[in-house]
Order: sequence, then structure tokens, then C-alpha cells
Amino acid sequence: MSVNSENTKAQMRKGVLELCILSILSQGDAYPTEIIDKLKETKLVVVEGTLYPLLTRLKNTGLLAYRWEESTSGPPRKYYKLTEIGEQYLKEVQLSWFDLVDVVNKTIRKV
Amino acid sequence: MNKTVTINISGIIFHIEEDAFEKLSKYLSTIKGYFSKTDGGSEIMSDIEARIAEMLQGKTSAVKQVVLMADVDSVMETMGKPEEFAGDSASENQNEKHEEETQYTGTEPIKKRLFRDGDHKAVGGVCSGIAAYFDVDMIWIRLAMVLLTFAAGMSIWVYIILWIVIPEAKTTAEKLAMKGEKIDINNISRSVKEEAEQLKKRAQKFGNDVRNNSGQFQNDSANFFDKLGNFIKEFVIIISKFFVRVIGLILLIFGVIFMLGLMSSVFGFSMVGANTDVNDWINIFFMERSHYTLGLIGVILFFGIPFIMMIYGGVKLLFKIHYTNRWLNIGAGLVWFVGLIIVLFVSIKTGKDFNESARVKEPIMIQSQSDTLYLSLTKSKDLMNSLHLNEEDYEDYNDEGNKVKIHKRHSDYIIGNTDKGKFIVGYASLNILPSTSDKFELYIVKKARGEDKRAAVARAKSINYKVTQSDSLISFDELFMVPSEEKFRVQDIQVILRVPKNKVIYLDKSLEHFIYDIENVGNTFDGDMVGRRWIMTEDGLSCIDCQGLDLEDSDKKIDAVIPPPPAPQAPLNVNTKDANVKIDKDGIKIQSKEGNVNITNSGIHIDTKGEKGEKGEK
Repeated sequence: MSVNSENTKAQMRKGVLELCILSILSQGDAYPTEIIDKLKETKLVVVEGTLYPLLTRLKNTGLLAYRWEESTSGPPRKYYKLTEIGEQYLKEVQLSWFDLVDVVNKTIRKV
Repeated sequence: MNKTVTINISGIIFHIEEDAFEKLSKYLSTIKGYFSKTDGGSEIMSDIEARIAEMLQGKTSAVKQVVLMADVDSVMETMGKPEEFAGDSASENQNEKHEEETQYTGTEPIKKRLFRDGDHKAVGGVCSGIAAYFDVDMIWIRLAMVLLTFAAGMSIWVYIILWIVIPEAKTTAEKLAMKGEKIDINNISRSVKEEAEQLKKRAQKFGNDVRNNSGQFQNDSANFFDKLGNFIKEFVIIISKFFVRVIGLILLIFGVIFMLGLMSSVFGFSMVGANTDVNDWINIFFMERSHYTLGLIGVILFFGIPFIMMIYGGVKLLFKIHYTNRWLNIGAGLVWFVGLIIVLFVSIKTGKDFNESARVKEPIMIQSQSDTLYLSLTKSKDLMNSLHLNEEDYEDYNDEGNKVKIHKRHSDYIIGNTDKGKFIVGYASLNILPSTSDKFELYIVKKARGEDKRAAVARAKSINYKVTQSDSLISFDELFMVPSEEKFRVQDIQVILRVPKNKVIYLDKSLEHFIYDIENVGNTFDGDMVGRRWIMTEDGLSCIDCQGLDLEDSDKKIDAVIPPPPAPQAPLNVNTKDANVKIDKDGIKIQSKEGNVNITNSGIHIDTKGEKGEKGEK
């Protein structure tokens, strides 16, 4: 049963990961490693690999844009930022998240 | 001790233990497999590789240069298993399978690069570096180099150029790259195939994207142009990479060929210059011996520098060496300029002495009162012998293997050698023109060039040439002689005989190669004019005893189709030293060195060779 519970947790994390990434980026541009560091504090990301397909998908749907910046130590970095569409989208999703959390909390507590 | 390999992740070089490399490579190819069919898969891949490079960089330092198994494990743990994080994306495209996932290696195998091997060097480490590049024993390369030294010192030049062009492998990374993956035909064709395959995939994907996107809304257009841009960029990069190498190869090959040519001619000149004719010519042509030496150096620099730079550039392009030595370029330019100055200096110095031409006409009294002059040639036997010119020098073999007489052209010069010193010997020529008076007139026209008119005239006058008369027989020397120690300045002798109207001359057979392009009524060639009598008429020289020789006139009747004459019972074959006449059932076939005439059922075909032949076409 413990495997199942891990799986569920992973699924839950994945679901909100997108929202978290957008939120982090709404506070300022960042490159993947920075985003990962922030997410790691919250234990939302277990494996880093998860992030990259997600970032690319968000970029491809137009929510994110990026620019290259040279790094003094290592390969050039991709700095992501929210686009206007992304900001709009984040607002909507944040609202629905708060609604969802409310509803879910109420439901859980009632159970 | 563990073997390490060098890999390039996101443009950063890592030394990695072999087993760790295997693991990392497998890991990356698995990820690649998961994303291969995903939208933006290659982008995700390069992001992940960049992150891995960053992490590995954090794990290595100046002290710990090599990536170990533990480092790779740690990276994989942080990054996660492919199935953990790629599942979502892959499930978005469930209908597509990852059939090719195992094909790809995410890291490029160590790109081999050409370096000089300082650890195994005999001179500059060039041979050992090349040996490492092509993965052969260095003894073969060295042997080839030594052997090539005998080919006009070829390898010495090449070695020096390569020494300059190829950087030495100094760091561990460079030393590993020097030995990297073996370069052979299989490898090259594989990498070409891979690139082509990738390009094809991208093109297909691009096409699909275009089709999918065309129905969608506008905000996709940026995306579309992004992709188009990327695709074109990659295409151009791959194509230009290829062409750069091809150009490099072409430059290298031609540079080496030109250099070889230059070296062998320079070597040739300095070798034969030691004792033979060439040496004499050098003395006789240039004002001073030093001008020749200087000129040779100038020519070597003037032509050699561009050739060396071609080889230099070629090697750089071919082996992707990005390292420019500014001083080398400037130095090469300067040296080339010096070469140019030297060449100009010597040309002007030497050319100045050819500046003015002079033509001196010396009349010779004709003692004979006879109406007919017999003209013949004095073969200067003794002189010819002293010049080592015997009959053999005049003979050669034609296409059919028959011995034919080759005569030296009038512009040919020989260097003679007597006790007094070396001197120039040239062939004189004779022209026959109508006279304005009623007397035979004979002139010797002497020509030469010099720094100014006076020098040229003096030089022309100094040419020795003799015409002897005995009654009505006039004998011309075949050769003229320039006084010894006199420079070669295009000296020439032409004898002109002016014949009054209705007077007759007889051209002796010995004059065959002495007369030059004499105008006559029937446009008869020089070779056919000898051994006959000619009378000067209103229209020019006309043949008196040419009955058997209407061949050269026949070109006037070219338009008429003449049926071939009935062939004699047996084929007729006549061979003379100048021509070959064959009559058989096919018609008449006349071959001579002046041209061929074929008379067959289909008509007359005349085909002439050489300048004299063209005259016949008039």
C-alpha cells in the first residue's frame, strides 16, 4: 500500500507543479536551476527531470518565454519569464486553486 | 588505474571514467528515447544536458578532474529516472512508439582533434600527432616524412607548416581529444549518416508542425517562424560544416600540388644550373649572376607564400583548428611583399636591357652578272660538331614510328662553346622578294635589343654572319654567331634577296629549312619550293619546273566534286621522305607533314596542319 500512497503523492505534486513554476516566475525571471532550488525547499520536486518537459511545454503554449544568458561557470543559461498570456493564465489558475483548496479542505475535514 | 574518455556535454569537456561514461550515455539515450516523439523533445534534451553539465562541473575541480561513477549516480538520482519524469509528456503522444530510442547517444563520442603530441615528439610532435589522429603507428608517418624529403624537400615544408598550424596538446583534455575516437571510413560515414538522418527527421517534423499549425490561431505564428528559423539555421550549419571541410581539403590538395611544382622547378633549376645549358643561359640572359639568384629567391617567396598559406588555411579548415597567429599572418604578408619587390627589381633590371630594338640592314654586292642565281646553304660542319649537333639532333620519330627530319625553328638558339668562351648561335632565315630595280639585291638584316637604340644597334652589328659567292652560286651560312660574352638580347638574322623581274633563281634542296614563308604565285609551301627554278613575274615568284606539283593549287578547285580516277590494278604506294601517297580502291590518300589530302567517292578532303597549312587555305 505504501507504493500506492507514494504514487498518489507524486501525482498530486505533478498537478500543482505547473502552478508553482508560474508563481515562482511571476516573482522574477529565473533559469531552471534556480527554479529547482526553490521547488526543492518546498519538497515539491523529487527529481529534477520533471521540470524540463514542463518548462518546454509551457513555453510552447506561449505562457513562458526565455532568453539566453552567458554563464561564467558552465553552459549558457536559459532564463525563463512569464509572458502576458502567462500572467493572465496564472491569475486565473491561482484563483481556481484557492477555490479548490477551500473546497478540498472542507471536503476532507467533513469526511 | 581506470581508463577515461573525454566527452562533450553542452559544449563543456569532461573526462569521465569509461564505465561511468557507459552509464551516463545509456541514461541520456533512454531519456532521449522518451522525448524523441515529444513536441520540443530535442529542446528538452538539450536543457537536461545543460543541467547535467552544470552538475558535473560542480563535481569536478582542478584537483579532481575526472568524473567518477559516483558522480554520475548522484546526477542520475537528482535528475530522476526517465520513466519518473517523462511519463507525462510521452503519454501525450501515446499513439507513437519509441522504436528508435536505443539508437541515439546523447553525448557525442569524443570528437577527435588533431594536435601535436609533445610527449612523443622527435622534432615538433607533428608525426606522432598525425599518427594519433589516424590511429596508426607513428613510425609509418615518420618514414613517409623522411621518404618525402627526397621528393624535392617536400616534407620539410609540409612539416614546418604543420608545426605552425597544429597546436600542441597541452591539457589533459587536449591530450584525450588527440587520441579520441578512432577516425576511419566507418566512423566518418556514420557521422555523416547521423547528421543527415537528424536533418531529415527535423525536416519531417517541421513539415508536420507546419501542417498541424496551419489551422491554428495566430499566436502560433511566432512559434512557426521560430521553428522555421531554427530549421534553416541547423540546415545551414550542417551544410556549411560540410563545405568548409571540402574547401579545406581542396585548398590543402592544391596548395601541396602547387608547392611541389614550385619546389621541384626551383630544385630543378638549381640542380641543372650547376653544369649544363641552363647555367649558360642564366649567364647569358641576366645582367649579372646575382640577379638570377635574387630572382629565384623572389619567385620562391612570391609564389611560395600564397601556396603555404593555402596549405595552412586548408589544414585549419579541415581539422577545425580555431587558432590564429596574427604575427604569422603579418609575417607572411611582409615576406610575400619582399618577394614581390625582388621579382619587380630583377624584372626591371633585366627588362631594361631589352628596352629598345634595332634593325640593321647591310647590303651585299652581287658580283654575278648572270640572269640566274643558284642559292644554297653552307652547312657549317665544324661549328655544328663543336656544338655537338650531329644528324641525330635533327631526327625524331613520327606517330607511325618512321624516322623524320625535325628542323630547328628559326627562333631556336643554341649555346656554342669554343676556346674563346661561350657564345650564342642562332638559325638565320631567307626571304625572297621582288626587286624594284633591275638588279639582284641582297641584304642581311640584323636584329637585336638593348637598353637604348645605340646599344641595340651596336649589338645587332656585332652579330657574325657570312654569305659566300662564287660566280652565280650564292651560299648562305645556316647559323649566325653572337660574339662571346655577349648577352642574349633576341638577336636574329634574316637574309633578304630581291629578285628583279624575269630573272631566275634556283633554290637548292639544302635550303628547305632555311627559306621562310616565301610568297609565290602558287602558294607553294617552302618544303616544295626547293630543288626548283623560280622566275620573278608581275605577280611574284612563279615556278618554272613545277609540272609534277599542282597539288598545292588544287585547293582552288575545292568546290568541284571530282570523281576518283580509275584505280590501277594493284594498289599504288609511294613513300618519300616528306610525303606518302597511296592509291587504292578507296581513292587517293596523300599524307605529308604539311597536311593530308584524301580523294574519295565523296569528294576531296584537305586538311592542313600548322601555320604553313593555313596559308594553303587562302
